[in-house]
Amino acid sequence: MIPLVVCDDSNMARKQLIRALPAEWPVTISQATNGQEALAALRQGLGQVMLLDLTMPVLDGYETLAAIRAEGLACKVVVVSGDVQDEAVRRVKELGALAFIKKPADPETLRSTLLELGLFDPKATPTALAQAAVLDELKVNFRDALREVTNVAMGRAAALLAKVLNVFVQLPVPQVNIFEVSELHMTLTDAMRGERLSAVCQGFIGDGIAGEALLLFHDSEVVDMAKLLGWHPKDDNQTSEMLLDLASILTGACLAGIAEQIDVRFSQGHPQLLGQHSSIEQLIHLNQRRWRKTLAIEVSYSLEAHNVHFDLLLLFTEDSIKRLTNKLNYLMN
Amino acid sequence: MPAQIDIKEVHWLLDIVQCIDVGVIVLDRQYQVEVWNSFMENHSGMGPDEVHGKTLFSLFSEIDEVWLRRKVDTVVALGTRAFSLWEQHPYLMHFKNYQPITGQEEFMYQNVTLLPLGGAGDAVEHICVVIYDVTAAATHKKQLEAAQANR
Repeated sequence: MIPLVVCDDSNMARKQLIRALPAEWPVTISQATNGQEALAALRQGLGQVMLLDLTMPVLDGYETLAAIRAEGLACKVVVVSGDVQDEAVRRVKELGALAFIKKPADPETLRSTLLELGLFDPKATPTALAQAAVLDELKVNFRDALREVTNVAMGRAAALLAKVLNVFVQLPVPQVNIFEVSELHMTLTDAMRGERLSAVCQGFIGDGIAGEALLLFHDSEVVDMAKLLGWHPKDDNQTSEMLLDLASILTGACLAGIAEQIDVRFSQGHPQLLGQHSSIEQLIHLNQRRWRKTLAIEVSYSLEAHNVHFDLLLLFTEDSIKRLTNKLNYLMN
Repeated sequence: MPAQIDIKEVHWLLDIVQCIDVGVIVLDRQYQVEVWNSFMENHSGMGPDEVHGKTLFSLFSEIDEVWLRRKVDTVVALGTRAFSLWEQHPYLMHFKNYQPITGQEEFMYQNVTLLPLGGAGDAVEHICVVIYDVTAAATHKKQLEAAQANR
């Protein structure tokens, strides 16, 4: 038996990955929800091979790879991540990962990668019992599933952004919350700390799942953004156009990534510039009479080596939550 | 859209694209026109035969080429949609206002959506340009702003 560690902060991601393992691969599976737990498992000899996610709390994938190298732990690592930027792939290989597989892992790709690396003998007899037992144990809830779907989607958006701006995008773990609308307002006000902002929003709807995507730009960083893009906006009008274009890329890619995973096609309205150089209170007038609760996904992108951040918020209508749950159930079970 | 489309429905779809009061143009990567619906024909006065295979820039000298290319380049490279709004860019092509009684503006304000169209191998081979007449909304918004400024 080969001791295998599957390290990912998402239950759903681990479930998807374990399900994608070759059935006849004789492994004993240990699970870790962050790099620190993974390292502990490796030190106990539980990991000859590890499948490792990158975007995780406590200790992320990069730090874990660095620690493995620093401690001289003998473990063959294959990275399985939604962060599909070319630079991410280059970095993990440089840190000693043997291969990179994009999420959600395709069983065929996983099999051929393991074969290529000589980690798996195709003539072995099927023993998928271990996998089945682990899969039964793993419970996935709605928030976890949506967080993982978002994680994959934002990774794709980041890869596009990296290509356009020629930068490395740092990805956080996305936040998924169901808010009372008044709470959301407070959270936003808090997070923006009185900064001047510009906001672009765009409605989307597909299969009864609807909401608005809101992208917040910090005014203090707009000049740096223009430099990265090689634009020279002469006035507010041209700056708005630059923000609208950037918003279309990020929102479009993120929504397309989510849509593909839950098998929906979203219609998108024209984006709208909510305002420039305003406070969050001026920008957002949430309709509290019509909406009580909202499902909010928050993703903050920051550009490495530049003082530039984008905050993307996907706010779903109350009616969408049930339909979205149904869609996610297919992925969870 | 139905999952299976029979030939009669293809005719319907073509009719709809033809008659809908929205401009639809399909361009290849060289900006040459491949599809040109009635809205485009009626407002430009040029029929599909006249424009087919010609580049958009040669047909409409008022198009800001640098601006359009930048948008189309991202659509092609990234496969995402791009948008243009009348507030930032009043129109893509200059169409005279065609309503002598109710039309108060000189020209048609336009919102534009650029959609990537995939080829067989997923690469973007064509761009669909969708043009919306938003003159009424633009007029109202400008009137409202003027009224507020005068108060």
